[in-house]
Amino acid sequence: MKRLLILWAALHLSAVLSAQNPIIRDQYTADPTARVFGGKVWLYASHDILSPVEPEKKWFSMADYHVFSSENLVDWTDHGVILRQENVPWGKPDGYSMWAPDCVEKNGKYYFVFPDAPRNGRGFAIGVAVADAPDGPFRAYEKPIPGVWGIDPCVLQASDGKTYLYWSGMGLMGAQAKDDLTELAGTPVRLDENLPQGFKEGPFIFEREGHFYLTYPWVQDKTETLAYAMSDNPLGPYEFKGLIMAQSPNECWTNHHSLVQYQGEWYLFYHHNDYSPAFDKNRSVRIDKVLFNPDGTILPVTPTFRGVGITSARDQIQIDRYSALCHQNAFLAFLDDQRPFEGWFISLVRPGSWVRYDRVDFGEKAPGTLSVRYRAAKDCAVSVSAGEAACRFDLPASVSWKTLSLPADFPATGIQDLKVSLEEGETLQLDWLSFTDTSWESFSDSSTALEKYLVPASGKNASPDADGFVRRWLLLEPISKPHRSNNVFTETYLRELFKEPYFPGQLGEILPKDGSRVGNLCWHAFDSRLFNVKLFRFASNLSEDRYGKLYWMATVVHCDREIPDVRLSVGSNGASMWWVNGEEALLMDGDRRMVVDDCASERLTLKKGRNVIWGAVINGPGLSDFCVRFLDGNGNPVTHFTVSTK
Amino acid sequence: MKKILFFAGLIILNWISCSAQVGTPFIHDPSTIAECDGKYYTFGTGGGGLISADGWVWQGGAVRPGRGAAPDVIKIGDRYLVGYSSTGGGFYGPHAGSILTMWNKTLDPESPDFAFTEPIEVARTVEDEDCDAIDVSFLMGPDGRLFCTYGTYFGFIRLVELDPVTGGRLPGNRAVDIAIDCEATALIYREGWYYLLATHGTCCDGVNSTYNIVVGRSRQVTGPYLDNVGRDMLRGGGKMVIAAQERQFGAGHFGRFVVEDGVEKMSLHFEADLDRSGLSVLAIRPLLWKDGWPEAGELIEDGNYKILSRRRGYSLELSVDFVRAQGGKPFWQIQADEPMTVLEGQKLADVANGWPQGTIPVRMADYMARPHQKWTIQAVPDAGGYLGGPYYRIIIEGTDRALAAAEGARLETVPAFTGADRELWRIDQLTDGTYRIMPKVIPGQAVNEAGAGSLCLVSVADCTPALGRFDFNSDNCKWDLKRH
Repeated sequence: MKRLLILWAALHLSAVLSAQNPIIRDQYTADPTARVFGGKVWLYASHDILSPVEPEKKWFSMADYHVFSSENLVDWTDHGVILRQENVPWGKPDGYSMWAPDCVEKNGKYYFVFPDAPRNGRGFAIGVAVADAPDGPFRAYEKPIPGVWGIDPCVLQASDGKTYLYWSGMGLMGAQAKDDLTELAGTPVRLDENLPQGFKEGPFIFEREGHFYLTYPWVQDKTETLAYAMSDNPLGPYEFKGLIMAQSPNECWTNHHSLVQYQGEWYLFYHHNDYSPAFDKNRSVRIDKVLFNPDGTILPVTPTFRGVGITSARDQIQIDRYSALCHQNAFLAFLDDQRPFEGWFISLVRPGSWVRYDRVDFGEKAPGTLSVRYRAAKDCAVSVSAGEAACRFDLPASVSWKTLSLPADFPATGIQDLKVSLEEGETLQLDWLSFTDTSWESFSDSSTALEKYLVPASGKNASPDADGFVRRWLLLEPISKPHRSNNVFTETYLRELFKEPYFPGQLGEILPKDGSRVGNLCWHAFDSRLFNVKLFRFASNLSEDRYGKLYWMATVVHCDREIPDVRLSVGSNGASMWWVNGEEALLMDGDRRMVVDDCASERLTLKKGRNVIWGAVINGPGLSDFCVRFLDGNGNPVTHFTVSTK
Repeated sequence: MKKILFFAGLIILNWISCSAQVGTPFIHDPSTIAECDGKYYTFGTGGGGLISADGWVWQGGAVRPGRGAAPDVIKIGDRYLVGYSSTGGGFYGPHAGSILTMWNKTLDPESPDFAFTEPIEVARTVEDEDCDAIDVSFLMGPDGRLFCTYGTYFGFIRLVELDPVTGGRLPGNRAVDIAIDCEATALIYREGWYYLLATHGTCCDGVNSTYNIVVGRSRQVTGPYLDNVGRDMLRGGGKMVIAAQERQFGAGHFGRFVVEDGVEKMSLHFEADLDRSGLSVLAIRPLLWKDGWPEAGELIEDGNYKILSRRRGYSLELSVDFVRAQGGKPFWQIQADEPMTVLEGQKLADVANGWPQGTIPVRMADYMARPHQKWTIQAVPDAGGYLGGPYYRIIIEGTDRALAAAEGARLETVPAFTGADRELWRIDQLTDGTYRIMPKVIPGQAVNEAGAGSLCLVSVADCTPALGRFDFNSDNCKWDLKRH
């Protein structure tokens, strides 16, 4: 798992991360403190890992801090590690106790405040590291802040011009501090004595329109809610006001948060164990919008997958990060339980199941193509709508994940809510959707599955096609005969080669049975979908080893009456030899390509009744195939017969 | 007599030099020849390519980044669009392919303007699908639409449409399958037909390479491309354009270059040239059109020719006294029982002494197999050439007397060939198989290069040759060269 995480980190190093919730999708992040510096949002968070040492393997484990930034709350840049536990002079280098941090700016200096386990002693102290830029490099003070024991530091630069430090120690604590946070500038006071009972930690204090807000995780029942109290003074007394967010239904025990105003809107940053449902100490940061009542109280926030921001219709829209989902017959699951960072899919189980994803920006120009990554055991049809635009799409059954691009008459522009409903079929699993301008990449059929070329022969006797090509053949799985070049296939060589015995009944009147075996090789009765029989695809669907092969084939031509003066006409890639009713009819030597009517036999007579045709094709490095038909005296194809492999 | 033997020796010595491009024309998968600032360029597999100042002598030195395989180049407006594949195909794969295009204002790597734009992908194939996106070829259609074909023996040849402004794929353009079992295609357009030239057979096996170039044609760019017996190239159809030569094997990678109306060249490579260590070489041949089908023309081989006007079929000859041949008797004197004898024709020695010593004019008359009507045409070594051919001298057989352009755009013969430019002749086989014969220079006039205004050997009357304007639509400007 660790290796996997490292790999993911390497792949995404300083990459731009697109986001719904969780917003960071390649590593665990927790305890988010969001600050605005220089017009960007900077996210300082804990970095959960699976601990490499006991006893933390079943506990919180954090060895360093990353910082992330964004200009739109949707696309996040990981600026990498800003502080490691080994680089804290007073900290335990293997403490794995780099818990919830904060960061503030004063006079061009950035003060990163963090808890850590001290090298000597027990519990937690709170330290400071300083940098000239929000992404570091940060240099830690030699000593922690004297007299402060606890976790979850929060710094408030209040409108009174003073700096206050808050933390969670014996209760929720606060004190005035020096601007450079080297030490406290006042006596710590306890802030939570008038608040309802229950475990509290993680104080985050902010100031808005003359009010000071003390917000904090609070165990009201079983797990942590986010609660808040208000005051007119930075150090209280604070009056309890209620919950910002209820406890999570699936028992992630912790929550931890910050509130930030950015471009006129307020946002709540918090965390949840989205990527680690079985272990709630590996958490991931989320964002949802916060609204205030006119009296300054906070409207409760419902956690969403959709999160904040606008998603471009041209990006991959992770529909599993939905805004709303029908109440029944739909569910969410990991694409790969072993690789949670690959994300989720949404399953629409029954016709009528739907999912909605809000705030998709279609831009000024309506898209021409819908791409969708999906999986479905049966053919499905979906309706996709956004604003006035609505379109129905057929999604053919695909048991493995498939990305299909479909022409879309979808006149959506501007920002719209996107809804996908299952109309036909069942259990349609959707990974993402994307709208694109019509592009050449949309059209590609690169499939080389056998059924594109050959299908099992079935039903009564087949007819030749309109051009006379015999399409029903009994094919033996290829025999290995490696050759570097095709121009060694001389007449002498071919006669010797095909004279050798390969199986009983070779060139005989009775054809082998469909499914019968020659050693490890099996006979198959096929109808070719094409005029030519694509032996190469027969081979490539059996094995990676598809060059340097000898193929045997046979078929039976049934005639109502004798057909005299016809010629067997063949194209083959590469050399081949052909027999009609036990007699050699044609030998095609050398380096050959598939050319219709490349060579024709002497005149021969097709008997009334059964006529047995045998053929053998050999090829070195080519795309083996053949086509066979009979031509009459005028060179026109003969079609009045039927074909079987019996 | 000694002089005659001397000339016979020269013929054999020079034969090799006129059979192929000279210099160091070593290249594999050459792109269509492009002209830039008076020089010719072709790019090959693996990066780099050849440059020629005259179209006959080629040297390395062209620059193409990106390596990969089988580029093509087309001039659009004042820019060159260069396409190539970043991958390399091969007998045993891999077969994931990608076609890229990029622009340059010039092909001259010495030019300060020489800079390729960032390549953009215009076609792609994934590993093992029934196409391998290499071997790109461009066509600017008659309606200003830009097309591109690609693909190898590994599945289909495909056609896509590009934006002639960006060189990128047209949005929403779907690739069309147009042929199977060939590679190194080229798409050309002529008189209402699209022609798909394709290389059949196996490459890269030296003197055993079976590469050969075939063609099918279609009224629609998307096909079907049918051959001369109506076979679709999607079923392996194709009519031969050029295969192996006596000493050159593996003809592949066709490219068309239109010099002017009626004068076309085709470029290709031979995988192995026996006279050049079996290396892969650039070849340029006249491109002929017969009954709506392209054919490879021939370079003039050194030898003895009669030069017949297309106007009336008269032979170019020295303007000297007609000398009666000896022997034989009138038909009324024949007696049936007389034994047969073989008479000799008139020989040079029988008449040459009577010819003037200095310059002698030329004229035309009906061919009578007389020495003053018999010419020897020979490539002149180290005299350079033009696109696809060397300069020749045209002398009276058995003598040193050479056809020359003279002041005032006149014709004459000089008593001895000196190698002067006015005695050097450019001979292009025209698209109808006839020949145009042009002096390298005309004394007192600017350089006489092919193109509008160039002067060539013409018939101004049945018996009067002159130097006049080339007009492909006039038989006055065309000549047949027949061995005798």
